[in-house]
Amino acid sequence: MGKTHFMINKYYLLVLLFTASFASAQTSVITGHVTDGNSREPLPAAYVHFDGTSKGGTTDAFGNYRIQNITPGSYKIKVKYIGFKEYEKEVDLPAGQTVILNISLEQSTQNLKGVNILGKLNTSNESSSRQIEKNANNTTNVISARAMERSPDINAANALARVSAVTIQRNSGSDEAYAIIRGLEPRYNNTLINGVKVTSPDPVSRFVSLSIVPSDLLDRIEVSKTLTPEMEGDAIGGTTNLVFKDAPEYEYFRANASIGYSAIFFNRKYDDFNQGAVQRQSPVDRFGPSYMAAPGYFSRANLDFTKKNAPVTSLAGFTYGKRFLNNKIGLIVSDSYQNQYYGTNSQFNIASLNPKDNNKPQITDVANRTYSTQQLNNGLSAHLDFTVDDRNKIAVDNVFLYTYIAQARLSIDTSIIGGNGGRVGPGTGTVFNDNRSYIQNQYVENLKVSGKHVIAQHFTFDWAGIYSNATANSPDRADITLNHLINPDFTSTPSYFDAISRIWEKNGNKDLSGLANLSYKTMFGENNSFELKAGGLYRHSTRFNQQNEYTLRPVPEANGVKSSFTDIYSSNWIVYNVSGSLTSDKANYTAYENIAAGYGEFFLELGKLDVIGGIRVEGTQQGYDTHPVVLDVQSNARKTYTDVLPSLQLKYKLTDKSNLRASYGQSISRPALFELVPALNRGQSSDVIGNPFVKHSEAENFDIRYELFPKNEEQFFVGGFYKNIKNPIEFGLQNNYNGTQPLLLPQNYGTAKITGAEIVYSRYFGNLGVSANYTYTYSNINTPKQTGEVDAKGNPIIKLQGRPLQGQTGDVLNLSLLYKNDKQKAFVQLAYTYTSRTLTYVYQGYGYDFYQQPQSFLSLSGEKQISRHVAFTGKVNNMLNTPTTVKINNLVQAKDLYNVSFNVGFRYSL
Amino acid sequence: MKIRNIYLLSAIVTIITGVFSCKKAEVTTFTKIKIPTASPIAPGNISGFVKGTLLTGQTYTVTGDITIKKGDTLSAQPGAVVIVKNNAQFNVQGVLNLLGSQDNPVFFNSDTNKPGTWGGFQADSAQAITIKWTHIDNTGGPDAGGGARRTIIVNARINVDIEDSWFSNGQDDLMGLFGCHVTLLRNTISSSGSTDGEGINLKSGATGVVAYNVIFSQAGSGVKLETNPIVPLPQTEVDVHNNTIVSVGWRRGSAEPGRSVSIGVNAIGHVYNNIFVNCYHGLEIFPDADVTHTTYGNNLFYATVTTFTDLRDATIQINLRDNFYPAGAVGKPQPTDLISAQVGQFDPMFVKFDGTVAAPNGYPNTNDFHLQPTSPAYGAGNASFDSKRPELGNLDLGAYTTDGKGNKH
Repeated sequence: MGKTHFMINKYYLLVLLFTASFASAQTSVITGHVTDGNSREPLPAAYVHFDGTSKGGTTDAFGNYRIQNITPGSYKIKVKYIGFKEYEKEVDLPAGQTVILNISLEQSTQNLKGVNILGKLNTSNESSSRQIEKNANNTTNVISARAMERSPDINAANALARVSAVTIQRNSGSDEAYAIIRGLEPRYNNTLINGVKVTSPDPVSRFVSLSIVPSDLLDRIEVSKTLTPEMEGDAIGGTTNLVFKDAPEYEYFRANASIGYSAIFFNRKYDDFNQGAVQRQSPVDRFGPSYMAAPGYFSRANLDFTKKNAPVTSLAGFTYGKRFLNNKIGLIVSDSYQNQYYGTNSQFNIASLNPKDNNKPQITDVANRTYSTQQLNNGLSAHLDFTVDDRNKIAVDNVFLYTYIAQARLSIDTSIIGGNGGRVGPGTGTVFNDNRSYIQNQYVENLKVSGKHVIAQHFTFDWAGIYSNATANSPDRADITLNHLINPDFTSTPSYFDAISRIWEKNGNKDLSGLANLSYKTMFGENNSFELKAGGLYRHSTRFNQQNEYTLRPVPEANGVKSSFTDIYSSNWIVYNVSGSLTSDKANYTAYENIAAGYGEFFLELGKLDVIGGIRVEGTQQGYDTHPVVLDVQSNARKTYTDVLPSLQLKYKLTDKSNLRASYGQSISRPALFELVPALNRGQSSDVIGNPFVKHSEAENFDIRYELFPKNEEQFFVGGFYKNIKNPIEFGLQNNYNGTQPLLLPQNYGTAKITGAEIVYSRYFGNLGVSANYTYTYSNINTPKQTGEVDAKGNPIIKLQGRPLQGQTGDVLNLSLLYKNDKQKAFVQLAYTYTSRTLTYVYQGYGYDFYQQPQSFLSLSGEKQISRHVAFTGKVNNMLNTPTTVKINNLVQAKDLYNVSFNVGFRYSL
Repeated sequence: MKIRNIYLLSAIVTIITGVFSCKKAEVTTFTKIKIPTASPIAPGNISGFVKGTLLTGQTYTVTGDITIKKGDTLSAQPGAVVIVKNNAQFNVQGVLNLLGSQDNPVFFNSDTNKPGTWGGFQADSAQAITIKWTHIDNTGGPDAGGGARRTIIVNARINVDIEDSWFSNGQDDLMGLFGCHVTLLRNTISSSGSTDGEGINLKSGATGVVAYNVIFSQAGSGVKLETNPIVPLPQTEVDVHNNTIVSVGWRRGSAEPGRSVSIGVNAIGHVYNNIFVNCYHGLEIFPDADVTHTTYGNNLFYATVTTFTDLRDATIQINLRDNFYPAGAVGKPQPTDLISAQVGQFDPMFVKFDGTVAAPNGYPNTNDFHLQPTSPAYGAGNASFDSKRPELGNLDLGAYTTDGKGNKH
C-alpha cells in the first residue's frame, strides 16, 4: 500500500511540472485545425510539425492543434496522416503573434501495403482502424485508442465489448473478464499482447484477464476472426491482440486522473478485514516440512470482519513518448494505476430436480453472498525501438502487470432440502455463515525482443524471443463456518463454531518462446504481387500449483458438545492436520506444455483478387505430475498430438471502397493444463476437477464477409460463418456437490455445429455518430440426459438432448451513439450492449440446463475540453444496474448485482 | 403258550433290534491334509498395493497407505490383527473380505489406540465389501486436505455386507454408503464422530436393510437416509428395524441436532421396532422425504432425564421428550409406538445403562443393551412390516430379541 501512495504522488508531481513549464512567456504561436478535405470532418492525432525540426504538435480529438514557443521566422509546415497525402506549406511567423492556419488534407488512394520499407502507420485513431480492417488479409475488427478514449472504457475488457461479435464473460464478484468471440467462450480464443501470448496466473484461464489491462496503454485492439497460417492455430473463435502504444514521431505526453465510486456502497457498507494479519508464509514455508503447526500459529484478525464506508476508487495514468537520435530510437513508457473498490451482492441457489413434481428443478440451498473487493492494478509498459536504417528495426517491449486483490466474502447459506439442518418450513432450519477473507498478488512479466529486417530486395525476416512469467500468490485464504438453527417457532440457537480452513496457494506459469518468419515478396505487373512466407515457433511452458491447507476444528466442551461461538478472538481450535496438506494433496502439481509449430504461407494479389493460404502444423506435448498420497494411473500423464491446419482466404476488391471476403480454415483449442490434472480447483462459486481424458478441440471454419468503407470513419460489414467443432470442451455438473458449490468436470460431448451472421455499421451524421453491430449465432450439440424415468429393468432412461454450446450467446448487439460538438469541444457517448441467454452449465436432467439470462448494459461517458491541454472526463457504467442472473427454466439459480459506478476526472495532454 | 410266545417274540425283536443297531452310518475319513491359504500375506510390515489373505493369529503393521487394486481381493481370516501406523488408510478399488468369527474376530486399530488416528477404508470405487465379526476402532484421521475421513466410504452400486462387527471412536460418518445395496446387521457402533458425522449414512439410491444394530453416542444421527438431490433416481429405500439407538446427536451442537433416524430428500424409509433412548431428536421425517412411501411404527421412545442443559450456555435447555417426533417435521406419533410421557414410563429396561446423554467422542461404552425380562419392548413389535419383504420384522423391539435373530454382542 505504501508503494502505491508514493506512486500517486509521483504522478501529481509530474503533472505539476508540465503545467508549470507552459506558464513561461512565448514568442510566436501557430494554431488551427486539420480536416478531411472530402468530408470536412476534423482529423484527430494528426502530426503537424516544422520540417527539419523536432518542433510540432498533434491535433486533439477535435482536430485542433497549437504549436507554441516558436522562434519567429519562416517555416515549412508539414502534416503527415495515414490515408492522406502529405501536406506542405511555407508560413511566416512574426514575433508575438498568433497565426491561424487551417489545413485540409486530401485523401490518398495509395495502397497502404508497404513493400520493402518498414513503414509505420498511425493506427490509434478510428480512420486508420478502418484502414487496417479494409486492408487486412483476414477478417478483422479493430478498435482504436481514440475510440476507447471517447468511451466509458477503463480497461480493455470494456472496450472489447463493443467490437462486433465479441462479448465479455465475467465472473461473479470480481471484475475479471475474458473475451467471447462469436459466441465462443474464452477457451476457444486467444489473447495476445503485442502479438504474443501472455501467460496467465489464473488457475482457470489460459489468458490474462482483460480487466487488468488498462485501456490507456493500448494503441488498439485487433480482433481477428479468421486465421492466416502465420497465426497460432489455437483460436477457433478468433484472436484478440492488445497492441500497446508505439513510440510516436513527436513528443507525446498524456496523463489522466480520476476518482470514482460504486453505487452498491450507497446501500451497504464495505466489509473489511485486517490485511496485515494475513500471514504470507504457511507454517511449512516458515519452519520446514516437519513443522507441526500449533493452534497459536494461525492469526485471528483476518477473520474479524468489520464494516466501513467504501473508499473512493482512484485511477491515474500517464504515457510519455519521444524519439531520440534523429528519430532512430523511440521510447514510450506508460503506466496505469487503478485502485478500485467494488462490490457484488449475490444470491446463489443450489438447485435439483424434484421427482415429485415432474422433475422440475427446485432450490435445495439458498445463499446470500456479499463480496467487497479492492483491486489494485498497476500496468507498466515500456517500448524501445531502434530503427537502424530503413531496412532494419529492433524493438524491445516489456509489459509488467501487477494486481493486488483483497476480498471479503460474507455468505449466509440455508439448506432447504437435505443437509443436517432440518428445515421444516420457510424461515427455519440451520443457517450457515461462511465468511472468507482472501488476498492475492499477481505478477505478470512479459519481455519481448523482436526485429524486422529487409535482408535483400525481396526478402524480409522477422523474429522474436519472448519471456513471459505469471505468478499468483494467495496466502492464507481463511474461511470460517458458523451455524445456528432457526427453530420452527422462529427462535434461534446461539451460533456454533463449525470449522476454519486456511489455505496457502501459489501458482505460476512460465513461457519461453521463439519465433521467426521469412518472407519473399515481389510485384509483377501493375496491380499484382506475390508473397511467400515461412516460419516457425517453439514454446516451452511450465506451470506449478502449490496448495497447503490446514483444517482447524473447534475444541469441544467437556461433554463432547461443540462449543458456541462468540467472537473469533475467544474461539478455541485444534489443528486437525498439523503438518498441512502440502505433501499429500494432489493439487500440488507441476505441468508442462511444449508447442512446436511451422507454416508455409502464400499471398497472391491478382488485380482485384487477393488469395492467401497455406498450411500450419502444430505439435503439442502436454503433461503433468501430481504428488499423490496414493499412486494411481492418473498421477502422471503425458499427451501428444499434432494438428495439420490448412487455410485459404480470398478477398475480392469489388471497388476501392468495398471488399468481399471468403475463407476456410482449420483451428484447434487445447485444454488448459489445470483441466487435465485430476485435482480439485476451488473457485469462487464452483469447483472444478481436472480430467486427463479430455481431448483437444478441432474445428473447421468457414467465413464470408462483405465490407464497405464509404467514407473516413464509416463502415458497413455483413458476414456469415459456419464452424464444425469436434470435441468442444464443456463443463458438466457432477452428481456430487462439493460442499455447497457445484462440482464441474471438463468433458467432450461430441461435435458442435455453429453458424451465424453479423452486421456492422458505423456512420457520422454531422455531429452525431452511430456505431452498431449485431451478431446472431446458432449452435447445436447433443448431450445424453437423464429423463427421470426408468425402463423395465429399472435402469434410468437416457435421451439425447440438443442444446447450444456452453458459453455461446445467440444475439449480441452493441450500439453506441456519439455526439461531438466541435465548438463546445465536448463529446458524449452512450453505449448499449445486449446479449441474449447463454448456457452456463450442462445439467444432467433432460430438458433442463443452466442459462445466464439476457442482459442489457448502458453506459454514458462524456468529455469536455476546458483548455488546450486539459479536458474533464466523466463516465457512468452499468446505468441499468443489470443483474447477472442464471436460471434453470424459470427458476433463479444465481443472481449477482454490481450496481452503477461513477467516475470523474481530468486528462492532460501535451 | 401265549405268554411264552410273547416272550419269545419280544426276545426275537430284541435280538433283531440289537443286531440291526450294530449298523453304523458310513463315515468317510480323509488323511489330514491342510489346504494352504491362497496368496497368504506374510506377517510384519505391509503397505502399497496389497492383495491376498491376512492370516489367522498373525499381526500385521500397516506402515503406509494400502491399495487393493481393481480385481484384487484382500481377505482376513478369523483372528488376524492389523495395526495401522502413520495415519494410513486402505484404498479399496477391488474386493474387501474381512471374515472374523464370533470366537475369533479380526482386529483393525491404530498403533496409538487413540480416536482419529488412522484412515479407515476409502472404498469409493470398490467392487464388493464384506465385513463380519471384525473390530474397527479409532478411524477418521485427517485426509489429504485436512478433513476428517469417514470410516467406511463407498460410492458405487455394489453389495456392502457388514455383520456382527464393532466400530468405535471414528471422527466423521462411520459408514457412508452411497448408492450401495446394504446388509447391515447386528453391528455395534460406539462413540463415533468428533463434532459431526452420522453412524450409518445412506444416500444416493442406497437400498437394503439396517437391523439389529446398536448405535451409541454418535455425534450426528444414528441412521440417515437421503436421495441425492440432483440425481433423484434411483431413490434411497431402506428398512430400518430392530436397532437400539442410544444417546446420539448431541456433539454437533444445537444448530444441527442429530437424530436417532432421519429421512430426507426424497428417500423412503420403513422404520419399525427400534428403541430410541436419550437421543437429541428421535425419528425425524423431513418434509422433503418421500413421505408418501415412508412407513413407520412400533418404535419405543424413551429418555432417562427430562431435560439436557448445555454446559456453556445454560439457557439452552432441551426437553428430550418434546423431540421424539420433532416439531415441524412430518413424522407423527403412531398408535403402535411406545412413547414415554415421563421418566419411568416405557423404560426399555436395559440390563446396564449409565444414563449418558451427551458424551465426548471416544467415550467408553460399558453399557449392556440387552433387555431385562420385564421390558415393555417384548412383544410390542411388528413381525412383518414390509409387504415386499415379509420375512423382515420381529415380535420384539430393539437389537436384542428373544428369537435369537438379534445382536450377538
